[in-house]
Amino acid sequence: MEYKNITFEVKNEVAYIGFGNFENKSMTTLGIDTLKELEDSINGIKEKANKEIKGLVFFSHKRGCFLAGVDVSIIQGLSSEAEALKGCERGQGINNEIEDLPIPTVALIDGICLGGGLELALSCKKIFISDSKKTMLGLPEVKLGVLPGFGGTYRLPRKIGLTKGMDLILTGKTVNARKATRLGLAQMKMPAERLMEKVEDYMAKAAKQKSKGIKDSIENLASDNFFTRKIIFQKAREAVLKQSKGFYPAPLKILEVLESGYSKNRQTFLSMEANAFAELSQTEQSKALQHIFFLTDNSKKFDKDQKYKKVKKGAVLGAGTMGGGIAWLFAQNNQAPIMKDINENSLILGLKQSSKNFMALVKRKKMTKDEFTRKQTSISPTLSYAGFQNVDLVIEAVIEDMNIKKKVFSELETKVKDDCILTSNTSSLSVNEMAKALEKPERFAGLHFFNPVNRMPLVEIIKHDNVSDDTIQSLYKWVLDSKKTPVVVGDGPGFLVNRILMPFINESAYLLEEGVTPEALDKAVLKFGMPMGPCRLMDEIGIDVLVKVGKIMEDGLGTRAKANQLSKLATEKNLLGRKTNQGFYLYDQKGKQGEVNPAMAEILPSNKVDMDETQIQLRVFLPMVNEAANILEDKIVDHPSMVDLGLIYGIGFPPFRGGLLRYADSQGLEKISNQIEKFADEVDKDRYNLSSFLREMVESKKNFYDL
Amino acid sequence: MKAVYLVEGVRTPQVKSGTDLKEISAPYLGHYLIRHLMNKYEIPNTDVDEVIMGNTGTPAKYPNVSRVIALEAGLHKKTSAYSVHRNCASGMQALGNAFDSIALGRSDVIFAGGVESMSQMPLLYGKEMTDFFINMMKAKNVQDKLKILSSFRLPFLNPIIAIEQGLTDPFCGQNMGQTAENLAREFNITREQQDEYANRSHAKAVKAMKEGKFKDEILPIIAGSKLDKLISEDIGPRENSSIESLAKLKPYFEKVTGTVTVGNSCPITDGGSCFLLCSEEAVKRYNMKPMARFVNYHFHGLEPERMGLGPAMASHGVLKRSEMSMDQMDLIEVNEAFAAQIMAVQNVCSSSEVSKRWDINETIGEIPDEKLNVNGGAIAFGHPVGSSGCRIVVTLAHELAKRKAKYGIASLCIGGGQGGAVVVENLIQ
Repeated sequence: MEYKNITFEVKNEVAYIGFGNFENKSMTTLGIDTLKELEDSINGIKEKANKEIKGLVFFSHKRGCFLAGVDVSIIQGLSSEAEALKGCERGQGINNEIEDLPIPTVALIDGICLGGGLELALSCKKIFISDSKKTMLGLPEVKLGVLPGFGGTYRLPRKIGLTKGMDLILTGKTVNARKATRLGLAQMKMPAERLMEKVEDYMAKAAKQKSKGIKDSIENLASDNFFTRKIIFQKAREAVLKQSKGFYPAPLKILEVLESGYSKNRQTFLSMEANAFAELSQTEQSKALQHIFFLTDNSKKFDKDQKYKKVKKGAVLGAGTMGGGIAWLFAQNNQAPIMKDINENSLILGLKQSSKNFMALVKRKKMTKDEFTRKQTSISPTLSYAGFQNVDLVIEAVIEDMNIKKKVFSELETKVKDDCILTSNTSSLSVNEMAKALEKPERFAGLHFFNPVNRMPLVEIIKHDNVSDDTIQSLYKWVLDSKKTPVVVGDGPGFLVNRILMPFINESAYLLEEGVTPEALDKAVLKFGMPMGPCRLMDEIGIDVLVKVGKIMEDGLGTRAKANQLSKLATEKNLLGRKTNQGFYLYDQKGKQGEVNPAMAEILPSNKVDMDETQIQLRVFLPMVNEAANILEDKIVDHPSMVDLGLIYGIGFPPFRGGLLRYADSQGLEKISNQIEKFADEVDKDRYNLSSFLREMVESKKNFYDL
Repeated sequence: MKAVYLVEGVRTPQVKSGTDLKEISAPYLGHYLIRHLMNKYEIPNTDVDEVIMGNTGTPAKYPNVSRVIALEAGLHKKTSAYSVHRNCASGMQALGNAFDSIALGRSDVIFAGGVESMSQMPLLYGKEMTDFFINMMKAKNVQDKLKILSSFRLPFLNPIIAIEQGLTDPFCGQNMGQTAENLAREFNITREQQDEYANRSHAKAVKAMKEGKFKDEILPIIAGSKLDKLISEDIGPRENSSIESLAKLKPYFEKVTGTVTVGNSCPITDGGSCFLLCSEEAVKRYNMKPMARFVNYHFHGLEPERMGLGPAMASHGVLKRSEMSMDQMDLIEVNEAFAAQIMAVQNVCSSSEVSKRWDINETIGEIPDEKLNVNGGAIAFGHPVGSSGCRIVVTLAHELAKRKAKYGIASLCIGGGQGGAVVVENLIQ
C-alpha cells in the first residue's frame, strides 16, 4: 500500500512505522490522513502478527520531534460534542489495536512527544527515548481546556502510578529524558543515534523468547487502597480549585474521570474519557484557550527569509531593578551582557535583581548552582563605556526623564558601532520624541519590558516615524530568541498595554472615591478572573508611579483620561504601596498582604456604597474595551488579536476569556456600547465617552474579530 | 626573536581569604578578566591562540583551571588552554610561556596570568585513609570488608591542610616563615626594621588606594554567596597600621627568639590577574595600543632554605638577558613575601661581596627604597600564590604608564628555592 503521511516497512520480520518523512514543518502533528493510514497499517499488521510480523516499531524520520500531538486546528474545528466523540473514539480505537497486538511493540522517541503522540507511544509495550536535551514528553491537553482523549488519561496513570500520572495530566507539564526514565515512562534512555540499532537488537532477542501475557504491565493496577485513593483525590481537588479558582472546568473533569474510572475496565474508562473530551471541547473556556494557542503560535512565527540582524552581544544602560532584570534576561540566554551605570550602588541593585531571578530558578530546581554561577558572573558590571563598540543591541533603562534619556542617547550613539540597535525601555515617554536625539534614528526603537522581567512574558516593540523595518525585525527575532512574547506597537501615551490598563486603574480609583471598599473592588475583579485586584495591583506598581503615568495619560489623551484625586492624596501621605509597605493594604516583612491599611481608609470616603459585583466589573472593564477601540482607531496595533495577546501576557488578563476583545465580542458589542453610553449619562460623560470606532462597528454590525 | 607586547593587564581586587571572595572558586577569579578584555578590544573570538594560567591549589573540580576559564570567558572552543605551576611564581611562569610562544612566532594572541582561591584550598586525607578507601573498594565480600574495616584508626581522619603543606618545603623541611627567619639572622635584620618596613608598605598602599592608583588595573568582581555584591577595592591594606601595634604581635614561626610575625609577612589572599599578550602583527591587525613591551624574563634556583633571596638572582639573570642594568630601571617591584626577605634581597643586590656566594661576581644593582614597591606590596595586599607573579607585573606596568617612565622590573621569591623576574618597557607616553 502507498502511504503519504507515514512510512511503512518490514525488515527482519519487524514492522517499522515512521512519522515526519513528508512534511517540511519542523513539528510533525497527527492529522486526519495520518490517523487513517495508521488505522490501515495496524490492521494489516494485526493479520500478520506472529506470522510474517513479529514486532512493531514506531519512530520519526525527523530529529528532535517524534509527534507534537494532534493538530490543534482539528480540535478547533470540532463543531459539536458528537463530532468530538467520534474523533476520540477513532483515536482510542487505533491505540487499543496497538496495545492489543500480541507482538513486542516499541516507540522510539527523540525530541518532542506530546499529547496524541505520547498517547500513541503509551500504547506500545516499551518506550525507548533519546537523551537529547530536546526530548520532552507530556500530555498538555489541559492547557487547551480539554483532557487527553486518545486513552492517555487511562494509560499514563497505569504506567507511572496514579499520583504522578495525575500530576502530569492536571498540570500539562512536560518531562525531560532523565525524568521520563525515572518516572518509568520510558524503559531505556540512550543517544539518539543508537535508538534504531538498540531496537533491532531488542526485537531479535524478543523473537527468541516466548511472549508473555501481553497486558501484564498495563493491568497491573496500583496497589493503593480505596481510602488512600479517596484522600489523594480529595487533596488533588483542593489543589486544583485553589489554582484554577474554579474558572477552568478541565482539571476537575480530569479528576472526575480518573476517580470514577479508576477501577473500571478499559472500555468503560475510555468511553468516560471520550465523553469528557467531547464535553470539554465545546466549552467557552476551551475555545478561548484554543484561540490563545493560535495567537501565541502566530506571534512566534518568524519568516525564514526575513532580513534581520543577529544580536550576539548586548548591553544594558542603567542598572537598578529594571536594568538588572534585563541583564538577567541576556545572561539567562547566554548573551553575557555589559551592564553600565554611573554609580556602583545601582550596579549592585542590578546584580541583586539578577541574582534574585536566578535564585528563584535554583530553588525550583530549574537551574544548577554551577549554571547560576556561570550565568550570573557572565554579566559585566561597569562604570565605563568600554566594550560598547562591540555590542549589537543596547537597552537603555535609565530614569524616566525625556531630557536625561535624550542626553544619554546622543552620548551613547558616539560609543557604539554604526549598526548597533539602540532601544529604550521606556514605559510612558514618546519614542518619536526620543528618536530626535539620534543621528541615526532608523536603528532606534522602544523596547518595553514589564516588571518583573523574569515573570512577565510580554515585550512591546515600539515603532516611531523613522525606524527601519530591519530594526523592528531584528528586535522581534531577539525577543523570540529570548523566550519572550513580542508585540509590535505604535508610539502613543502608554503604548498598548499601559494605555488599556490605565482606565482600568483610574476607574478603580474613582470607584473607591465613590465609596466602594477596597475589598469589594478587589473581590469583584478577582471573580472576573484577573490575577490581582486593582488595589493590590496599585500597591505593586507604586501609587506615586501611577500619579506620574496618570498625568502623562491625561496630557496625551485628554479628558477621558482625567486622573483621579485619590492616588495624589495617597502619594502626599507617603502611602506608596509595597515599596513603603503602606498602600491600600498593609504588608508584612515578607511582603504578604494583610488587612486594609487604616491610614488609607482615612482618606477614603466614610460613606460606603454597596455596589454589586457585575456593576463593578462593568465599570472597570468597559473603559478598557472602549480604550482598545481607540487604540485600533489610532493604529497603535494592526489587529485586535494584538490587543488580546498584549493583555494576556502583559497584565494576565484571564486566559479562559480568550482576551479582552474576544470577551467583548462574546458579550456583544451593541450591549457593551449601550452600557458605556449609560455610564456616560450616570457616571461621567468624559471618562465614558464612547469611542467613535466602537460606535461605527456597532452600526455596521461588526465584531472586533471581523476586522 | 619577535617582539612581545603586553596590551593590557587587569586584576581582581585582592581580598583576605575566608572573607568576601570565599565563595568564588578559582575559574571565576579569571574568566571575567578575559571577558572584559575581549569586550574592550576588537579581537574576533576565533583568533585567541591560547590561555595560560598559573594556579597552585588546583581545585579537585578543575584540574586544568585555564581551560575552564577560557570557556567561561566565552572564548571560542578551539582556543587551547593549559595551567602552569611554579609555586609562588605560577602567574609569572604563565607570562613566560606566553612570551616564548609569541617570540617564537607560534602564537599571536594569548591571555596569560594566574588565579588563586586560597579560601578554597582543599583539605586532604592522608595516605592511610586513602589506602583504606582503596582497600574497601577492592574488597569483594563481607568478610574482607569487615577485616579492612577493623584496620581503621581514628587518626586516619586527620585532614592534611593543603595550604599548610604547600607552604612547607619538602626538601629542607622548613616552613616559608622559617626561611625568612634564616635570612633575618644571616643578614642581621631586626624585628624593628621588619615592622617599620611592613608599616611603610601599608602606608604606601593606603595612599595609593586613596589616590585611585588602582582604578585602571582592578576590575570589580561579582562576589558574595548570592553573587550580588560588587567588590572593587583591595581588602587588606590597613589605614590604622602603626609600628606600635605591629610590635605587639608575637613571632609566629620561631616562638621564642623569632622576628617574623604575621604583621611583617604577607597575608593569605584570594585573587587573580591577567594580561593580554600579542605579537606585533596582532597589535597592528586589531589596531591596539599596547601599554608595554615584554622585554624578557628569567628564573633562577638556589638553596630552598634561602628561597627568599630568589629575586636577587633572578633579577641578575633577566637584566643580563635584557642587556640592561638595575639603575636603568625606573620602578622595581619585588613581591613582599616577608619584610625580612625583601630587605635581605636589597642587601644581596647592593654588594658583590655578598652576591658572590651565589657565583655572581658583580654587583647586581642597588634597589633604592624610592623605586621599590612605590604603591605598597604584598604585606598590605596579600599574596594569592598562583596570581602574584602576574599581579606584580600588572601593577608595575600601570604605574610605569602613569609616570610615563621607561623600564621596570618585577621579581618574586618562589617556595622551594627559586626566584623569577620580568623586565618590561613602558609604551604609554
